Amino acid sequence: MKILEYLSTLDRRIIYLVLAIVVILPLIFPSIQRVRVMDPVGKLFAAIDAIPDEQILMLDFDYDPQTQPELEPMAVALLRHAFNRRIKVAVLSLYVQPLGLAKKALDQVAEEFNSQAKIRADSIVYGQDYVFLGWQPPPIVPLLGMGISIAEVYPRDYYGLRTDSLPMMHKVRNFNDVGIIVCVSGGNAPIWWVAYSQTRFGVAVGAGITSVYASELYQYFQSGQFSGLMIGMKGAAEYEETVASSLRVSGRRKATEALGSLNAAHLTIIIFIIIGNISFVARRRK
Amino acid sequence: MNITSDPWIWIGGLLTLCIFSFLYKDNPFYKFAEHLFVGVANGYFLTFTVHRVLGPNLFVPLFVQGRIWYVISLTVGMLYILRFVPRVSWLVRIPIAVTIGYYTGAVIPATIQADIIRQIQATILTPQNFQSWNAGSSGIIWSVILFVGVACTLSYFYFSREHKGVLGVTSKIGVIFIMVGFGAAFGYTVMARVSLLIGRFQFILGPWFGIIE
Repeated sequence: MKILEYLSTLDRRIIYLVLAIVVILPLIFPSIQRVRVMDPVGKLFAAIDAIPDEQILMLDFDYDPQTQPELEPMAVALLRHAFNRRIKVAVLSLYVQPLGLAKKALDQVAEEFNSQAKIRADSIVYGQDYVFLGWQPPPIVPLLGMGISIAEVYPRDYYGLRTDSLPMMHKVRNFNDVGIIVCVSGGNAPIWWVAYSQTRFGVAVGAGITSVYASELYQYFQSGQFSGLMIGMKGAAEYEETVASSLRVSGRRKATEALGSLNAAHLTIIIFIIIGNISFVARRRK
Repeated sequence: MNITSDPWIWIGGLLTLCIFSFLYKDNPFYKFAEHLFVGVANGYFLTFTVHRVLGPNLFVPLFVQGRIWYVISLTVGMLYILRFVPRVSWLVRIPIAVTIGYYTGAVIPATIQADIIRQIQATILTPQNFQSWNAGSSGIIWSVILFVGVACTLSYFYFSREHKGVLGVTSKIGVIFIMVGFGAAFGYTVMARVSLLIGRFQFILGPWFGIIE
């Protein structure tokens, strides 16, 4: 009973310390984690894979430093998928904060492919294979406006170039030329794409979201409004696994590397919850 | 171990430790990092708004390209500033009315279609749901659970009658579904927070200390 009393009054800083240790150790001494790809991620992969040549993949990267660990691996995996399959990509952000991170992901994956390219045709070229449209506030403007004309909403891209001068955009006018929009967001943005762009123009929408929003947004996958869904670090690891196993694309898999720490941390928290409840019940009986 | 000499990574790492120091207790290092973050974020937003939004969308068309009708947008927008002039502060209602009017018109039909009609359609049991036992969320088992869950949860929020008899039973079942929903939301939140912690340690142990790749 003394142990239970001690545990019930345990200093929270000791819990933080234990949690830090169980997170750090699997990062330093990694073990192979088996990733089972679930239905929502498999469907998203299939939907992107099925984009016809005449249509593009539109990626809305709406993650900032607060949500970067969960969402950046999704963004990188999506870009690897698209570049490997030679699907043309247009990237944008509905907010200003994610622009730097979106550019970082684009530069990283383009460099990965270009460093392995043996001939010029294998290279990923800006303006030809992908464009970075940047940011155009308020969000409702691109959500509705791109259904009519993408070049009118984004007259210039992130780098200040005229959008209609980019070769890739010559045949891309509006949502009719977009196979699917995948919104990687730490907020409600995927719902906006469904409510405005899908309802009005019928464009397909997929989403990559943080775990916090999972219980709020999963229903949109169940109803078929999302063509596919990635949830948190686990969803990112599943997409990384699908890209690596199906397309043989190499590259660092940050979400998969983190699964060992995630498992260990969850187990620790479950143990602390059980201990906390047992000591609470014991004290009440006393 | 291969500690970086990149000053930006050092700044990022030290600021991370400053924020983590709050876990021990509130202290000046945490306060410094917090205030720095707010200041930098606001400065970044303001600069970007002037250069990338107001410039290409208002100043250039109006003052460089001579599209005089943009003066209407500028005037309506400037009325927001009159909020600080008591005698004419009522004029602020004009831009507010324009904004609310636009958004109300845009949001209501979209929300009704996407959040209400499509969600109700997805909850209704159709012959298609009874074609197989296990077809993801459209199989018999999950479709029936979904339907019962929605109906019972709604019955719990029906307060015009005392929760007795049939309503008492359905509302109790509804409570179970609500609790499962709360549990799932809590579990997902824990997963999200732990993921953020892992992300920071990946940064500290990776780019900063060079312990991991």
